[in-house]
Amino acid sequence: MSAYPSLAPFVMKRPWLRNMLKPVANWYSSAAGYRQLGLRADDLILEEDEQVLKALKRLPPQEAYDRVYRLRRAVQCSVGAKILPKDQWTKPEEDTPYLKPLIEQLKAEEKEKEDLDSLTIVKNH
Amino acid sequence: MISRAALSRGAQLAARRLASSKLVQRGYAAAASSAPSSFTYETTDVAGVKVATRDSHGPTTKLAVVAKAGTRYQPAPGLTVGLEEFAFKNTQKRSALRLQREAELLGGQLVAYHTREALVLEARFLREDIPYFTELLAETVSQTKFTTYEYQEDVDRVIHIKQAKVQGDAAALALDSAHSVAFHHGLGASLYPSPSTPLKGYLDENSIASFSEAAYAKSNIALVGDGATSSALSKWTEQFFKNVPATPSGSMTLNSKATTYYGGEQRTSHTGGNSIVMAFPGSSFGNFKPEIAVLASLLGGQSSIKWAPGFTLLSKAAASAPGAIATATNLAYSDAGLLTIQVNGSASAVRTASQEAVKALKSIAEGGVSKEDLTKAVARARFDALVSSESGISTILAAGSGIVHSGKPFQVAETAKSIEGVTAEQLKKVCYPLSSYYIETVTDKRILQAAKALLEGKASVAAVGDLHALPYAEELGLTV
Repeated sequence: MSAYPSLAPFVMKRPWLRNMLKPVANWYSSAAGYRQLGLRADDLILEEDEQVLKALKRLPPQEAYDRVYRLRRAVQCSVGAKILPKDQWTKPEEDTPYLKPLIEQLKAEEKEKEDLDSLTIVKNH
Repeated sequence: MISRAALSRGAQLAARRLASSKLVQRGYAAAASSAPSSFTYETTDVAGVKVATRDSHGPTTKLAVVAKAGTRYQPAPGLTVGLEEFAFKNTQKRSALRLQREAELLGGQLVAYHTREALVLEARFLREDIPYFTELLAETVSQTKFTTYEYQEDVDRVIHIKQAKVQGDAAALALDSAHSVAFHHGLGASLYPSPSTPLKGYLDENSIASFSEAAYAKSNIALVGDGATSSALSKWTEQFFKNVPATPSGSMTLNSKATTYYGGEQRTSHTGGNSIVMAFPGSSFGNFKPEIAVLASLLGGQSSIKWAPGFTLLSKAAASAPGAIATATNLAYSDAGLLTIQVNGSASAVRTASQEAVKALKSIAEGGVSKEDLTKAVARARFDALVSSESGISTILAAGSGIVHSGKPFQVAETAKSIEGVTAEQLKKVCYPLSSYYIETVTDKRILQAAKALLEGKASVAAVGDLHALPYAEELGLTV
């Protein structure tokens, strides 16, 4: 995540561009297929990562439970090569980032630590 | 004798410095009618915060926020400990890591600790860094975030480790039990919750946050600076402590019930050591009894000279049971005190030594203390009182808790003066509660006194360790 360059901040700063691209983005999210399995976008983040593991531990208990439920339901669907009935699909307004902010916070912590570890002292006398 | 010229230059310098420092001391002694000004704290009120400073003109400063939030005041078990662990954690402005690293860069140290009455956040640093550390303390007090993940990853984990440590310490457990039978709630609350204390439902980041709102209010804290000028500290306090609320807010209120002495006995099995605490109502900060202080130093236990037991009665008592260490201390709190005699060691040695200790106490009550010993004890008590005001953490603690409890710091000058006036007669009077066995030998007026003292003179006895060997209070001859 965000190891690759992203255009999102550029787009988000310009309302006209954002309004133009929004329908395309919505279409893309629906076409990606995870919503039909009842998942949210943050459920797709790779777990095999120190920071993601730590972020998962910091999830509130209810969020963590719901996440496991969604994943298990999606695996069941996948095994049976089915998709959920339409009323159980993830609605666009439900598809909110719940893990991303925690990962960002951990990254900021890590970066601060690296900065402090490599800081040089400039004496002004 | 080595001649001066034979000394190296460094040694010469040191010798010269020694001589000059003696000169300075002589200067103090000349004006010795009252305590030197660098001993006493001057208190001011800066924008609602009570500030006490004393300047010893040294290169370092100790600055501490002393809050009336010790285990005595916590409304639920573990909150003081939780708040102590949350000191110097993430704030609205900076992360915990940043606080620590910045303090390190300035050569400062950040410490948080608690007693039964006070919670202390202390910073020690070089004199010129006072603005930075004043800001840091203000930030910690008013802007800590109390995040869930810090509670789970750091605070809770550390509390469990410390609990295990306390659980292995028989002496600390015995002192804790003695407090709990002596004072029940409030002062009797455990200094550190044991691993078997139910904390679930009482201790989490939300309850700690609301406890902090109650504890860290301007009316409830004192800022104590040792080695800082009053003007500098006032200036920075005014600027940085602006955001600290004036009165306690939030849903929680501090448990500020007055202390009553009950007394009783408690015995706990323990495999890690043996300890007996015999405690009696002692001298408090609010009601200082000089005779108790002298009694504590007469019982003593710690020798002030090497390779000899010293004059104190407890060290003589412990000498009869090799392996036992007996000490007497007066633990003073704002509205109550506890004179404790603690015996640690192997089970059989503790048994013998505690019996000897009670005998020693009774001998004092009978008037069996020599004039010479009393003189020594008075001198020792005076020295202890003065030396504790001179250095160490206890001065900040005493000044701070004095201010938050009574509005003025506990000054040592008066204390030392009143100790001088103790006579043998007074000491005898103090021991009446213990001398209830010797009623027959005294006059009717004294019988009345002693009977009254017998009713109120209940001891608090706590035994921890091998209960098969450790004696009951009744076997020791104490009433509980």
